[in-house]
Amino acid sequence: MNDIIRRDPRSEWIARNRLHPEHEAVLARIGGGAPVAQWMGPNGVLRRDPHAVGFIGPNGIRRIDRSGAQTASGAARREATAGPSRRLVRIETPAFLVAVVADMPGGRLSAYDRDLLGLARQLADGDGGGQGAVLLVCFGETREEGLGDAGVDRVVTFAGAQFAGYAPELRLTALGGVEHTHEPRHWLFPDSPLGGAELGRRLAARLGERPATQVWQIGDGRCTGRGAAGATDISRALPRIVLALPECAEPVTDTTHAAEPFAAPATLPQIMRRIDDLGAVAVDPAGVALAEAEFILSAGNGIDDWDAFHHAARVLGATEGASRVAVDNGFMPRDRQVGATGTWVTARVYLAVGISGAIQHLQGIQQCDKVVALNTDAGCDMVKRADLAVIADSSEVLAALVDMVEGVRKEQRDAA
Amino acid sequence: MLDVILPVLVLGALVLALVGGVRRIRLWRQGRPSPVALVPGLAAMPRRYLVDLHDVVARDREFARTHVATGGGFVAAAVLLILVHGFQVESRLLAWALIAASIVMFAGALRVAARRRNPPARLSRGPWMRLPKSLIAFSSGVFLVTLPTAGIVPAGFGGWLIAALLAAVVAWGLAEMFFGMGWGGPMKHAFAGALHLAFHRRPERFGGGRSTGLVPLDLDDNAATLGVGKPDDFTWNQLLGFDACVQCGRCEAMCPAFAAGQPLNPKKLIQDMVVGMAGGTDAAYAGSPYPGRPVGEHGGSAHSPIVLREGRALVDADTLWSCTTCRACVEECPMMIEHVDAILDMRRYLTMEHGNTPNKGKEVLENLAATDNPGGFDPASRMNWAADLDLPLISARGAAEVLLWMGDGAFDLRNQRTLRALVKVLRAAGVDFAVLGNEELDSGDVARRLGDEAGFQALAVRNAATFARYRFGEILTCDPHSFHVLKNEYPAFGARYEVSHHSSYIARLIELGRLPLSDWAGGRVTYHDPCYLGRYNGEYEAPRSALKGIGIQVVEMGRSGFRSRCCGGGGGAPITDIPGKRRIPDMRMDEINETAAEIVAVGCPQCTAMLEGVVGPRPEVLDIAELVAAQLVAAPVSVPRQTREVAA
Amino acid sequence: MQRDGKRSMTGGQPLTVAALVSVGRHPVTGRPRRAEFDARAVELGLSLAPGEALRLVHAGARTPDSDSALRGYLGMGIGAVEVLEQPEGADVVPALEAWVRTAAPRLVLCGAHGETGEASGLVPFLLAERLGWSLVCDLAEVEAVDGETMTVLQALPRGQRRRLRVRLPAVITVDAAARAARQSAFGPARRGELRPLAAAVTPDREAEGWARTPARKRPKRLKIVKATSARERFKAAAAKAEGGGGQVLTGVSARAGAEAILKLLREEGVLR
Repeated sequence: MNDIIRRDPRSEWIARNRLHPEHEAVLARIGGGAPVAQWMGPNGVLRRDPHAVGFIGPNGIRRIDRSGAQTASGAARREATAGPSRRLVRIETPAFLVAVVADMPGGRLSAYDRDLLGLARQLADGDGGGQGAVLLVCFGETREEGLGDAGVDRVVTFAGAQFAGYAPELRLTALGGVEHTHEPRHWLFPDSPLGGAELGRRLAARLGERPATQVWQIGDGRCTGRGAAGATDISRALPRIVLALPECAEPVTDTTHAAEPFAAPATLPQIMRRIDDLGAVAVDPAGVALAEAEFILSAGNGIDDWDAFHHAARVLGATEGASRVAVDNGFMPRDRQVGATGTWVTARVYLAVGISGAIQHLQGIQQCDKVVALNTDAGCDMVKRADLAVIADSSEVLAALVDMVEGVRKEQRDAA
Repeated sequence: MLDVILPVLVLGALVLALVGGVRRIRLWRQGRPSPVALVPGLAAMPRRYLVDLHDVVARDREFARTHVATGGGFVAAAVLLILVHGFQVESRLLAWALIAASIVMFAGALRVAARRRNPPARLSRGPWMRLPKSLIAFSSGVFLVTLPTAGIVPAGFGGWLIAALLAAVVAWGLAEMFFGMGWGGPMKHAFAGALHLAFHRRPERFGGGRSTGLVPLDLDDNAATLGVGKPDDFTWNQLLGFDACVQCGRCEAMCPAFAAGQPLNPKKLIQDMVVGMAGGTDAAYAGSPYPGRPVGEHGGSAHSPIVLREGRALVDADTLWSCTTCRACVEECPMMIEHVDAILDMRRYLTMEHGNTPNKGKEVLENLAATDNPGGFDPASRMNWAADLDLPLISARGAAEVLLWMGDGAFDLRNQRTLRALVKVLRAAGVDFAVLGNEELDSGDVARRLGDEAGFQALAVRNAATFARYRFGEILTCDPHSFHVLKNEYPAFGARYEVSHHSSYIARLIELGRLPLSDWAGGRVTYHDPCYLGRYNGEYEAPRSALKGIGIQVVEMGRSGFRSRCCGGGGGAPITDIPGKRRIPDMRMDEINETAAEIVAVGCPQCTAMLEGVVGPRPEVLDIAELVAAQLVAAPVSVPRQTREVAA
Repeated sequence: MQRDGKRSMTGGQPLTVAALVSVGRHPVTGRPRRAEFDARAVELGLSLAPGEALRLVHAGARTPDSDSALRGYLGMGIGAVEVLEQPEGADVVPALEAWVRTAAPRLVLCGAHGETGEASGLVPFLLAERLGWSLVCDLAEVEAVDGETMTVLQALPRGQRRRLRVRLPAVITVDAAARAARQSAFGPARRGELRPLAAAVTPDREAEGWARTPARKRPKRLKIVKATSARERFKAAAAKAEGGGGQVLTGVSARAGAEAILKLLREEGVLR
């Protein structure tokens, strides 16, 4: 992994000098197997391949650099560095702690968590009273390696099996232990449905602190949060407990921190569990409300084989959606209609099969992250909207897709 | 011997008929009170029967003659029978008249029987199949027993056996005709029908008038049930109207929801109301059922709920929500029964007492309450579509000749094209118009048809207050639903204005020569009558003359004018969205396709949306305003704006 | 629809349920209405405790606007809403706590947050903490109630569910995952009763110093490019915006098309 560019002035000079006897050999070496732009033909005529000249620039346009430095070396040239190097920061004796209870879905920091850590950094570094440190409180196994890069100075991990699943009472006790031993100046929680919103409010109620919720801006000892379901901004003095919204601050990018583990409080008080987690419930993707669904396979007028469509949805584990016409024609129930006149959906992937994309339909999928269109008409509006469009017979592609997914599943089973 | 039996039979039947009649009247009187003009109503009844009712019956000429013969013969025969045989009035003349009446009736009865030999699906079977036989029995029996009285055959002719036989035949006839009239037989229609005509809840409909606006509900009465939840919540004359139904099924044949296989059949609905009024089940019903709903599973009584939240009662909620309120059934009903009023009364109950408007109904009604438009759009964005048009606001001017009512189409991308076309036409004609802008609210049509009378009244009161602040000559709108509501239903809230639909207004402009138009060079055009313009307001001519004004010869569909088929967009039907076997707009598009037209002209945003929702290939759907605007030539209007305003 | 088929008896006694309701505000027009989540809580309450066993309580200032909004709950078929009259700017939690202690329901339902005022969603947490009750958030459905516990489904993001057993009494919050509230009907809304109750008033001193303004639009986060060289900066400036114009595969085989789609599905992690 040596990303440093080693320049070889001699070969660069030969590359610039077309008359040098080693010119072509050097070009071929620099080009790294890229086609040679010109060579001497068998009859002594200089042959050129105009397609091989230059390189593709970052905006997709071919660029020809006559200076020689770039000749045919687009592919060979590696980026100098992956990113700017970070400054290492170590805080030995912090004046105070800012505790962050991140969601860490899947044991990793989410973008939201990083924003929150960025906010914590601001609080720890910013205001008076000396240099603070950011304390991350994790529940369960941490699989995140870049805690230091995210701006964490100290980590407390509650990793026991008893903290897994839904155990808000136990987690609350653990936070109580942290409060008792470390007395953080601030507690930051993501105001998220993954648990932060609940845990933060539970802690606030337990400690008798009035938290600031839905906070999106902090500065000068004050914070601003949304009130009245997003209709107002409430600005107030920064309280001890803050529940912040996504993008409340910029994540840490310049520094890397120690992320030293702190011992978890050794003994926690015994509590009576009032809530038992009986485990996740297998949710049939077909039964998930359209508005909530993560992956929607949606059918339009271009579908001929409905059984194959339903089968594909089952195999892919997708929630079924439909265009108005498919619903009107009775192929799909009304509650599956996507669009301004049906349901507004928020799927991560919206796979539209045989849907031309009426304006009402496109309105309804505005909030989808990735739209895939499978259509025979390359000119339709859905294809224009799509991030990926496949112009082909939809039933064949669906069948191929189903085959592949089933094949992979089978391999996995056989391997297991 | 007949001399003894006949008076007993006749007078006995008469007494039974009277008892039955009183019983029937008591059934009707279970309904809520409703003031009617008793004597004038009764006095007007014959004329209503002979003119208004027969105008409708006469759409089927053949059967109209049959009915005149049978019905007229029967009425004459019945009166004479009571005189001649009941009270034994000795008069050769009366006897001869009776014979003549019975012959006429007999001839009619034969025709009735002929029609019943292979009856169309719309006709009910059951007791109605017996009726022609009973008519024949009555007329022939009366004919025969009167022969001796008239002196044609000697008295005592044929001996006692024949006399007994004759007496039996006459008894059968009398039972059907007199007894059955009061006790629920097919002949009930004569008795109930006559009184229904006399005490009709919309007397304005007689004598060529029109009455289609809904009557406001009194919302101040805290104790009263809102709408109709049980059969006895109907007014008594509504119950009487249901009882007048002859089950001819003309409504069924015209109903778009029935044809689409949605669970509605107007005839069955009226019969179910009769079942509810009298108590029992619908097992005896012998006509077409609600599509997909077997007969015999529903029943109820006058004091039990018509619709249950869960389970079955008299009718299912789906039935009531299938109606598009297109009034085709009412238009077609020879008895002038008000099906749509009944359905809306029951919808009012479902929405305002049960809170059970199906599918998108809840959302739409909540949006109307919160944002004054059914789509839930920001009411402050109502004028966004016209940002580039610089439309004059009446709030800035205080007065205008014409107030342009935009309707909720202002939020709809498709309808905005129509509105733009209309504005272009108005500007070309130099009309002094203005809009309410964001002060405009939904007219309340959808709320009212979905049974939310409270929501409608709230909107109507606020709109009326807005109107009152400004001076204008008339209201112009391109939405027939708004047109109907503003014209016919707002006067009850103190907003009485001249209201025009844009088709008639454009026709007027063309007639006055105020539009510089080029001649139509496009293809075949057919015209689809919107229900709320046509059947609700009788405007069939203006749209056609507007099209004629730009040189279009309309190719008429098989069903046009007062028989036009609904597009399926009225009455909140697209919102309640009751599934059927086909979609109503698809059926209408089939009829449009039969004309081989390239363009279907429409005059309603709902029709546009419904017809454009049909999957192609199909003719282009264009509003009259769009067609006219496209024919405008750039020639400047001869009268400059200012001088014309001075002249005005 | 197993609305009434639920086992909602505790030792033969019907489960007593209270729903805390607030005055909502329409997000577009700001008109008063029943609060969305609170209405869902009432809907849940109706499925658990029909009739008299469900009590609704509201704490707040009484104005014509608030009355019309509260009538929205009555329109769901509720006989009465008990109104603890509190002036503007009062802390309603003590009043609600006192009411719950007196009424002693087994279950208190409320929306995840209100639509006016602070709407921090703290009330259920404070109540549960002070009463020492269980608290479950984001409830989707109650599966069974028996004696001292109930089994519920908790909503997780993206339509996922988790089954919990919760000891009673409990405070439960409800958000968009619970069944939508039924339509509010005009007739019952008009006939229902708003029953005023006197309640002690605790002023909310802490909130007095807060500045409240209409919500400002949040700045959209810009993609910050940390570039160390001119070339990097140039690249960042010249690079195409991500997602602008998708990839269109024309004339590919069904298999190639499927592979492209599968790749995207894998990248997005939606295949399980």
